[in-house]
Amino acid sequence: MTIGISTYLIYLAISIALTIWVARTLHKNGRVFLVDVFHGNEALADSVNHLLVVGFYLINFGYVTLALKLGYAVTSAEQSIEALSVKVGMVLLVLGGMHFFNLFIFSRMRRRSHAQPNNHPPVNPDTFTATAVHQEA
Amino acid sequence: MQALTVLYDPECGLCRRAHEWLADQSKIIELKFVACASDEARKRYPQLNHDLTKKDLTVVDDEGWVYFGPKAWLMVLWALARYREWSYRLAAPELLPTTKRVVSMISQNRYQIGRAAGLNS
Repeated sequence: MTIGISTYLIYLAISIALTIWVARTLHKNGRVFLVDVFHGNEALADSVNHLLVVGFYLINFGYVTLALKLGYAVTSAEQSIEALSVKVGMVLLVLGGMHFFNLFIFSRMRRRSHAQPNNHPPVNPDTFTATAVHQEA
Repeated sequence: MQALTVLYDPECGLCRRAHEWLADQSKIIELKFVACASDEARKRYPQLNHDLTKKDLTVVDDEGWVYFGPKAWLMVLWALARYREWSYRLAAPELLPTTKRVVSMISQNRYQIGRAAGLNS
């Protein structure tokens, strides 16, 4: 096995492990949020949670796959480690971005479901006038 | 509050178009449209200053509270199921001055806008 191929394999192993770890964390801790959002409807919360995690996996594995190619030959262990640092660093940033995006979605869903009932008019009236509604009929 | 009476200007193309659009929207609160300064309007609101209602959109709720101009626009938005949230957003202290400026500008130039858009047939 050449050093180039081992670099790719190490990259894949690290990226896949990281993605699975983040997705599991999200799945485990996001559930509490979602149950709250859906007012205790656990079946719905689990379903949405699962769908979110599937999307998370698809986007991250998609990125990991697309970003695999190095574009130059790796000939030494030093070069291999440098290449890995760039690639794994990018994967980490994408995972971080996706993770915060998910948190943003969770918190927005939660805020929406806890919004105050909005029965009061947005502005105060300017004046008052007597109405002749009784003449209408 | 069950209903809002909208006193609109029947001579303005933009207002008629807005009226058609409003008729299609799903409403939380019923909207009744009455031409401003018409006999119907005078009969309903004998004490209201009807010259003022010709200048700008006016909305009266079923208790008799009157909203003029930009406030009337916000009340109409508030009556619509899809735009109630927007009415609060536009009425927030940070946005209200801008809302008032934009609405007044549209309102004062409603005939020109209607003509430019080909609505004053």
